[in-house]
Amino acid sequence: MIALARKTLLHEWRRFLPALLAVALSALLLLVQAALVQGIFGSAAVFVQTSGAQLWAGYPGTRSVDLGRAIPADTELVLRQDPGVRRVEPFRWIDADWRAGSGALSIYVSGIDTQDQALMFRALLNTAQRRLLREPESVIVDRADLDKLGVSVGGAARINGRRVRVVAALDGLRALGAPIVLASLDTAARLQPQEPRYSYYLADLHRPEEAARIQARLAPQAQALGFELWTREAFAQKSVQFWMLETGAGLAVIFLAVVVALVGALITSQTLMAAVAGSRNEYATLNALGVGRAALSRVVLEQAGWIGVGGLLLGALLSALALALARSHAVPVEIHAGISALCALSVLVIALVSGLAALRTLRHSDPASLLR
Amino acid sequence: MSLIEQAPTRALIEARGLVKSFRSGTLDIPALREVELDLFPGELTLVAGPSGCGKSTLLAALSGLQRPDAGSVQSLGQALWSLKPEALERFRLLSTGFVFQGFNLFGALSALEQVMLPLSYLKLSPHEVLARARAALDEVGMTPRATLKPAELSGGEKQRVALARALAKRPRLIFADEPTSALDAASGQRVIELLHRAARERGAAVLCVSHDPRLLSHADRLLHMEDGRILDDERRRPLGAPLE
Repeated sequence: MIALARKTLLHEWRRFLPALLAVALSALLLLVQAALVQGIFGSAAVFVQTSGAQLWAGYPGTRSVDLGRAIPADTELVLRQDPGVRRVEPFRWIDADWRAGSGALSIYVSGIDTQDQALMFRALLNTAQRRLLREPESVIVDRADLDKLGVSVGGAARINGRRVRVVAALDGLRALGAPIVLASLDTAARLQPQEPRYSYYLADLHRPEEAARIQARLAPQAQALGFELWTREAFAQKSVQFWMLETGAGLAVIFLAVVVALVGALITSQTLMAAVAGSRNEYATLNALGVGRAALSRVVLEQAGWIGVGGLLLGALLSALALALARSHAVPVEIHAGISALCALSVLVIALVSGLAALRTLRHSDPASLLR
Repeated sequence: MSLIEQAPTRALIEARGLVKSFRSGTLDIPALREVELDLFPGELTLVAGPSGCGKSTLLAALSGLQRPDAGSVQSLGQALWSLKPEALERFRLLSTGFVFQGFNLFGALSALEQVMLPLSYLKLSPHEVLARARAALDEVGMTPRATLKPAELSGGEKQRVALARALAKRPRLIFADEPTSALDAASGQRVIELLHRAARERGAAVLCVSHDPRLLSHADRLLHMEDGRILDDERRRPLGAPLE
């Protein structure tokens, strides 16, 4: 078989280049956007993901970690009484006011246990940093937020009018919305003296695989007392979903993805149509010689397929470069295999749909039109 | 006047009552008016006539490219216009070769690949496809240029490749529409000789539409068309007579 599709693609590469670039750019936009969304919205779950707890207790119906409200102090007792629970630890979430120099902004304060074996931010904080937090009125912030907060490590600021000192900066704390400031439970309590209760209790289990069973076992007591229990995975997913679906941000992202796909398909189909139109007489001659329309359609679809695969590879390469650049600038990006596969599939569908659209041009290549 | 040949040799194509008209605005312009024609094996039939006389329309109707409004075409024993579109394509694949004024070669393919391309749809072995394509290129004297792409060939060479592409399928019916119009005298001469040889040596029926006067001397039979009718049917060489 003569590889007409492939040979024509290579021979007339200039003609097909816009389609390849359109597909590659679609792939780039979709992949980078997906990684950004994953990274940014995934940061909504950073509290849950970096903690060592298997169960979270919080205010009933809480839809995202950052929407925590105070719950009864007896929650701790209920959790501790369960034989499956090894350790319980409170976590305080405060909306606060930050002032440094002449600037002021809203922040979130995370009041956390500072013991070496503490659960909260287990994956994020080392023992040296926890020890620094034990000093009264000391706080830790994300390195990327330093500029926004108007301080440097060692500098001083005021939270809710109370003087604090930035003792360290770390990576991976950056989240949606306001900057997050870490403090010890004691410091946090002093920053919000009017509310003695905590927002969450974290539970570490003897057997992590029992999380769902213990959650079910404690559910009646939780309901009676006025708190709700979630497994770590469920709470993380809840937080991400809240940001993605209920803030409108997710909808905007999906809308943008559809626009990208449409524009990609439009450019690709136009290019393919022009290419088919350019070879109209040749296709018509083949048809006159008895090569069927179906066989000619396969040639066009094969070209669309090659453009799809080539564009996807180029797009993936560009995405890898873009994401590496993002990472080096502390922009939160995260690659999710399933979502990346979905993006890749969308790109191939763009190419295929463009190929199908270009078949219309092929239908116009009538062998009778070759006669003078 | 009856234009049906009274010859012992059986016609490969028998056309009866062909009518075709084209719409231009609100006007119907007739291109074929009740045309009757038989085409015989081993003969090169040349259709001449002024522009717009219907000669290309006749070729299209006889070759299965364009359906007439009325009339029938029996081609190799089959009622051509009763065939479904796929069957018609199949018929053309197996039995017809075409040469057009424009050479219509794929820019990406070498001369050899151009000829192999339609052959590859014939369910032949790859070896057979290659052998037939080489033989066809050899027949038109293009073996030394077999690896070149259209951009590297002259007009005459391109038409010889197009001819090889049509002949390689070994069709019993060959249709040529103004095959020499875009060629210089020597190249045109060569192309018409090759078409004539295909008729003589393979027993194909060759229908050539042209107003190139240089071709007249090569025709076995000369049809003169005007206003959608065959006005004159002149046999220049007796059917089945040996070539001089």
